[in-house]
Amino acid sequence: MKNELNIRCVMSKEALTVTGAEQAVYALVDIKAVGSGQPRTMPANFGLVLDRSGSMDGEKMENLKEAAGYVVDHLSENDLVSVTVFDDQVETIIPNQPLKDREEVKSRLGSIIPRGGTQISDGLKAGLAEAWKGFSKDRVNRILLLTDGQTWDDEAACLTLADEAGRKGIAVTSIGIGDEWNEKLLLQLAERSHGNSHWIQNPIAILDAFRQEVESAQSVAATNLSMTARMSPGVKPVKVYATMPMISDVSTKALNGQNVMADLGSLDSRRGQAMLIEARVLPQKAGKFRLGQVEITYDMPARGIKGESVKADLFVMFTDQAATAAKVNAEVMNLVEKVSAFKLQTRALTEAEAGNIAAATQKLQSAATVLLNLGEDEIAEAAEKEILSLKRTGAFTAAGTKKLEYGTRKLTQALK
Amino acid sequence: MKCTECQTEYIEGALFCEECGAKIGTASQLTDAAGTTADKGTALVLASPGGGALDIPDKDEVVIGREDPVSEVFPDVDLTNLGGMENGVSRKHAVIHRSGTDYTVEDMGSTNGTYINKKRIQPHVPQAIKAGDEVRFGKLAFSLEAA
Repeated sequence: MKNELNIRCVMSKEALTVTGAEQAVYALVDIKAVGSGQPRTMPANFGLVLDRSGSMDGEKMENLKEAAGYVVDHLSENDLVSVTVFDDQVETIIPNQPLKDREEVKSRLGSIIPRGGTQISDGLKAGLAEAWKGFSKDRVNRILLLTDGQTWDDEAACLTLADEAGRKGIAVTSIGIGDEWNEKLLLQLAERSHGNSHWIQNPIAILDAFRQEVESAQSVAATNLSMTARMSPGVKPVKVYATMPMISDVSTKALNGQNVMADLGSLDSRRGQAMLIEARVLPQKAGKFRLGQVEITYDMPARGIKGESVKADLFVMFTDQAATAAKVNAEVMNLVEKVSAFKLQTRALTEAEAGNIAAATQKLQSAATVLLNLGEDEIAEAAEKEILSLKRTGAFTAAGTKKLEYGTRKLTQALK
Repeated sequence: MKCTECQTEYIEGALFCEECGAKIGTASQLTDAAGTTADKGTALVLASPGGGALDIPDKDEVVIGREDPVSEVFPDVDLTNLGGMENGVSRKHAVIHRSGTDYTVEDMGSTNGTYINKKRIQPHVPQAIKAGDEVRFGKLAFSLEAA
């Protein structure tokens, strides 16, 4: 049974010039589940970790209760569920249990009363402890963390918990509502544990985010996914990005000398996953050259498959013909352009945080231009607005930062 | 090799400049054309990436935009049929001024801006343009080429 996954490798150029200098080459590694039919759904182990701080009162809490109710209605009886609520205190209102009595769970959700401050790490710790009780490699183990506020002095504790969750195989999907929360923290919680992240401007959209997460959990085709790329002598990987479902720079974790090694979490059968490797190639003689080999290993618990792997080779031609070497693959070009927009906005934020306003403005202007080239007018406009904010106040706005951080990371998800 | 926009050094095979995000390769090819044609003082055309070229009429002020009979706007160069509407071209988007062999472009306060070589220009401030430059109205880009 070796045909569960399909790896497609596309190079930025099929041919490189025979020259005396080192050259850059990009490889897109696209991983999809084979067969577009419904995968056999794995049972879920779903933990809701919900902010009930005072600022959640009103419309946010009403919509949150409705969205949590949706989760309860759409999980099956084989699924496990737990609900943890937190402000500066934590309460487990539904301990990890099979979803037998939906009405009872919903009635307890209805009893949540907003109060107090926001201490995310305590809530996350308790929520993960509940999820761990029901943990199984045969389940899709996922935490849905929702907050509308800044957590105080426990960011490091939150990240440690996310790292641990990622290692154990529990993905944390983070959802922020409004503008007053720390997008860096929420994005990192998701990236470190292989979860998703959502920014919600209007409380009405909480339901949609929860629905997406339920559907995503029910579409998991493979778990424990990891990629190893072994490069040939003369080829050095220099950058690695996850590009689907969200763009993120995983270079620090994934680069290991000649090799690239990345844990990818679970594979959604609808979207798949994709990685972009940027490498440097030393001069080569004319002819076919093997850059390296990519190996994807995975489990498919629903089919009793464990530790299976598929491999694909990365090739380029070295040629004397300049015209042949000038051809660039449009798909990879587009992807690199999106990653470029993401990098420029990230650098703009870093420069602004360091107080380098001129450099931040320049990077953001460049990001805006790339975004316009990509046809992403709305995010480009957000970048232009932040340039004005930088000029006036020397800082980004809270809402603008979120729009850029989430907007550029999700460029590959655009419905086109 | 250097980025034509910001002069940052880049390695062969790179697709975008790390510093300014400019496309590498296509941009440098365009610049090569510039040195030879601009010096000759030839008339310019707006070449669209999809092929085809729009003449810049031989007059002092050439209005670029989208035709709108209702508000009686009839630009000299009408971008309606090139997807001007979808690509954010304003009705009176920009004016190209021509003085002998010198050209400038002035943004007329358009909603989505005018760009020269990927840099947005100030509205109502004419900027010099020459063969080899990329000029973009909203999202619609052209390269300036010798006629």
